[in-house]
Amino acid sequence: MILERAFPLRKRISGGLLLLACASFFLIPSSMLPLPNTQELLSVPGEIGHAGGRLVVSLRAEPKTLNPLSAIDAPSREVIGAMQADLIHINRGTQLTEPALAKSCKVSSDGLQYTLVLRKGLRFSDGQPLDADDVLFTMRVYLDESVHATQRDLLIVGGKPITVRKVDSSTVIFQMVKPYGAGERMFDGLTILPRHLLEKTYLEGRLGQAGGLSTPANLWAGAGPYRLKEYEAGQKLVLERNPFYWKTDVKGNTLPYLDELVFLFVPSADAQVLRFQSGETDVISRLGAENFSALARQQRTYTMTDAGPGLEYNFLFFNLNDLAAKAAPEVTSKSKWFHEVKFRQAVSAVIDRDAIVRLIYQGRGTALWGPVTPGDRRWVDASIGRPPRSPDRARALLKEAGFSWRTDGNGATELLDSDGKMVEFSILTSSSNADRTKMAALIQEDLKELGMRVQVVPLEFRSLIDRVTQTKEYDACVLGLASFDADPNSDLNVWLSSGGTHLWDPSQAHPATPWEAEIDDLMEQQLDTPKFEQRKKLYDRVQEILAEYQPMIFLASPDILTGAKNSIGNFHPAVLEPYVLWNVEQLYVRSEQVSASR
Amino acid sequence: MSFLLRRLLQAIFLLIGVSILTFLFSTLAPGNYLDEMRLNPQISAATLASLRAQYDLNRPLPFRYARWVNAVAHGELGYSFAYNGPVAPLLWIRARNTLLLTLTAMLLAWALALPLGIWSAERRGHLPDRAISLATATLMVVPELVLALGLLILAARSGWFPTGGMVSVGFAELSRWGKLRDLAMHMALPVAALVLSALPILVRHIRAAVAEELGAPFFRAATAHGIPRRKLLYRYALRAAANPMISLFGFSVGTLLSASLLVEMVMSWPGLGPLLLEAILARDLYVVIGGVLFSTIFLVCGNFLGDLLLYWADPRIRTAGGAR
Repeated sequence: MILERAFPLRKRISGGLLLLACASFFLIPSSMLPLPNTQELLSVPGEIGHAGGRLVVSLRAEPKTLNPLSAIDAPSREVIGAMQADLIHINRGTQLTEPALAKSCKVSSDGLQYTLVLRKGLRFSDGQPLDADDVLFTMRVYLDESVHATQRDLLIVGGKPITVRKVDSSTVIFQMVKPYGAGERMFDGLTILPRHLLEKTYLEGRLGQAGGLSTPANLWAGAGPYRLKEYEAGQKLVLERNPFYWKTDVKGNTLPYLDELVFLFVPSADAQVLRFQSGETDVISRLGAENFSALARQQRTYTMTDAGPGLEYNFLFFNLNDLAAKAAPEVTSKSKWFHEVKFRQAVSAVIDRDAIVRLIYQGRGTALWGPVTPGDRRWVDASIGRPPRSPDRARALLKEAGFSWRTDGNGATELLDSDGKMVEFSILTSSSNADRTKMAALIQEDLKELGMRVQVVPLEFRSLIDRVTQTKEYDACVLGLASFDADPNSDLNVWLSSGGTHLWDPSQAHPATPWEAEIDDLMEQQLDTPKFEQRKKLYDRVQEILAEYQPMIFLASPDILTGAKNSIGNFHPAVLEPYVLWNVEQLYVRSEQVSASR
Repeated sequence: MSFLLRRLLQAIFLLIGVSILTFLFSTLAPGNYLDEMRLNPQISAATLASLRAQYDLNRPLPFRYARWVNAVAHGELGYSFAYNGPVAPLLWIRARNTLLLTLTAMLLAWALALPLGIWSAERRGHLPDRAISLATATLMVVPELVLALGLLILAARSGWFPTGGMVSVGFAELSRWGKLRDLAMHMALPVAALVLSALPILVRHIRAAVAEELGAPFFRAATAHGIPRRKLLYRYALRAAANPMISLFGFSVGTLLSASLLVEMVMSWPGLGPLLLEAILARDLYVVIGGVLFSTIFLVCGNFLGDLLLYWADPRIRTAGGAR
C-alpha cells in the first residue's frame, strides 16, 4: 500500500509577460524581482501582514557559524533556521510534519522507501536553482564521516546509512534497511545545501570550516526566508529577505514580510531583558520566571506570553555505575543505597515538586513524574501516577529496605543503613543554572526530613559533565535535558543502556538490570514501528518503567516564556525551538502600531 | 641601555612562561570543549571520538603546545573549536573595540585625576581635599560591577542612554555626525563606569606624590623666590612627582585590554570580555590562551613604556642602570 499525504499547494502561474519581466529585471532591485512563473509555492495560513520593516532579536551569545554541518550551539541553530530550509518540516505550532521544499512524500507499504518530489522552480537565495542534485549532494555530505556532520547519526537507521537516489531532477528516493518509526520527522533539520557553492570546498576537504560568520554574503546561500546581509563581529548579524522564497500567505503575497531580521548579541539574560524593556529589541524568549514576571508587571508597549510547558525535564539522579571493582568502602556503601529501588522511590516520595514549581518557576512550570512533559502533547502518558508528597510513604519504603533512624545529641534525626552507617551524600548541580541550584537546595531540605544529610555542590558546567560522564566521581546530580523534538527518538540515547546520555550508568555493554533490558527492547521496537498508536503503547510502557524504577527522579519542567512588542503580527510562540522565530517568514510589523509608537 | 635590554629579555621570558602556564592550567581544568555535546542525545559516542581526534584533544600536551607555538610563529594564535576558524582575527576585531573603550576611559581618567590630585594636594587638610578624599574613598569601596549595574539601571529608567551595545541597529543609515553621536552615547556609560573605578586610585597616588614634593626644601625655596603658584605646581612639583605617576601610567596602559572585561559583559560591549568569558566556559582552549597572551603583551608593553619614560625622565635610573 502506498501512503500519500495530500499537502496544500498553490501553483502560481503568471501571465507570462516576458518582455516586462526582462525589463523589470534591469530596472528594479533584486528584492522586488518577480518570482519565476513556474514556481510552485506553498500557501500558509495565518494573519495577512504587509511587507517591510525590521525585526530585532537578541541572542544570548554570538552564533559561531552559518554552516548547518558544524552548528551545535543554540544561537547558530536559530540563525541557520531563518536562512535554510528542509525537505519536510515539523510545524512547531502543531508539532506535526508538513511539506517544505518537498511538495509530496510517499512512503512504501513496507516503510523502507520514501519518495520525495520537490516543488518546481525552487531557488536558493542567490537565485540559483535547487533540484535533486542538491539533495543528493547534501545527503552525501551529511553521511561523509570525514565531514563530522552532527546530522550523520540521524541518518543511520538499523545500523546502516540511508541511501538516496535520484529519479529525475525533482524526485529523490530515500531507502532504508529497516522501517523508521519517526518517519518523515527525520527530514526536519536536514537543510538542503547549495551544491554550486559548496561542492568545490567539499572536495577540497574544507567543508566543515566553511560558513564562518565573516563569509561574504554572495558566497553563502540557503533556501530559507532570509539570507546573509551583514555581520559585525561581537555586535550583530543582519539578514535580509530572500526574494526567491517559496511560501506565500493565503492571499498569495510572497513571504517573508520583513525586509530585515537583525540578531543582536547580548551576553547575559538580564541585559537581554533590559534591551527588550527599553524597546531596542522586538521579541524575547528563553526567559526565566523572575524576569518574565518583572516584564509582565510593566507591559504596555509589549505583551508577555506563557507558551506553556516546554520539553525540558529536570531530574535528580544517583550514580548507578558499577564502581565496586575499584571503589573505596565508603563509595561502595553509598552505591548500595543508590541501587536500592526503594531508596530512590523514597527520595521521590519526599520531594515536594509543587514547591519547586511554586518557588523556582513562580508557578510557571509543571511538576513531573515522568520524562515526557505535557508540552509533548502526543507522547505524554497521562496514566502515570502523580502521587502527592508523602514523607510517611518515604519512611515506610526506607524501613522496608532495611534503613533505620536514630536521634543525635542535638535532637536531630539521622537515617542509618542496615550496617548502621549514616546516610550522607552530595548533590552536584551546575553553578551557572540558578534554578537547578535552588532545586537542589529544596531537595536538600526535603531529604533532611527523612534524616538524610545532603550537601549541595554547585560546579562549573563542564566540570560537572566531566564528573558525571568521565570520572564518575559523584553521588547524585540535578540536571535537565530538553528534547529537540516531540518524538521518543529524540531521547533514544538517554533511554538505551548503551547510550552515552544514559546518565545514571552510561554506555553499558549489556543492560545492567532487567528493567533497563526491557526499556532497550521497547525503544528498539518503537524505533521501527511505523504506526503511531503502536509506538505510543511501547513508549508509554517505557515511561511506566521509568516511573517505577526511578533511575531519574523527575522534578519539574519550566514553561516557555516569551514576549513581543504589540506591533509584531503573527506572533505565536511554540514550545519547540526556535520558540518565537519558528514562523519568522510570517512575522510582520503592524504599520499603524509603528506610526503610533513613533 | 643594558637596563632596557634586561627589561626586554624579562618580558620575553614572561611571555613564554605565561603561555606555558595558561596552556597547562587550561588543560588541567576538568572538562573539554566537546563535553556539552555529551549531553546531546543526537550525537553518538563515535562522532564525539572523531571530533576529539580532529581537534587533537587526545594528543599529549607537549605536542599540542609545540603545534600552537608553530602557529604563533606563523602569525596565528591557534584554532577556535567553537568558531571553526583561526583565533587571531577573532581577537583582533574585539581587541579594537576594547581599546576604543579603555583608551578613551584612560585618557579621561588621567585628564580628571591630574588636576583633582594636584588640587587636593595643594589644599590638603582643607574642605576640597576632604571632599575629594571622601568621594574617592566612596568610589573605591563600590565594586566595579555595582557601579556598572547602577549606571545601567539609570539608563533603563531614564531612557537617556542606550542600555548596551556599541552602536544602534540603524547605525549605517545615520549621517556622519549622527554616527559619532550614536557611538558617543553608547560609550558614555561604560566609559563612565571605567573612569569612576579608576579615578580614586589615580587621584590618591597623584595627591600623595605631589603632596610629598610640596613639603620638599626645593619647593619652599622656589616659593620664597616668588615664582607664581600655578607655575610652581605644574612645572616643578608635578615634574618632581613624576616617577610614581609614570609607573602608574605604564600600568594603566598595561591593563588596557583586561581592565574593561567586567564592564563589557554588563554593558554588552563587543570587546574581548564576552568572547573570553564564553571561551573559558566553553573550554575553547586556544581562544583563552590567545586572549591571555594578548593581555600579557599589553601588560608587558605598558610596563616597558613606563620603564622607557622613567629612563627618560629620571637621570638616577640611567646612572643606576649603567652601574648595574
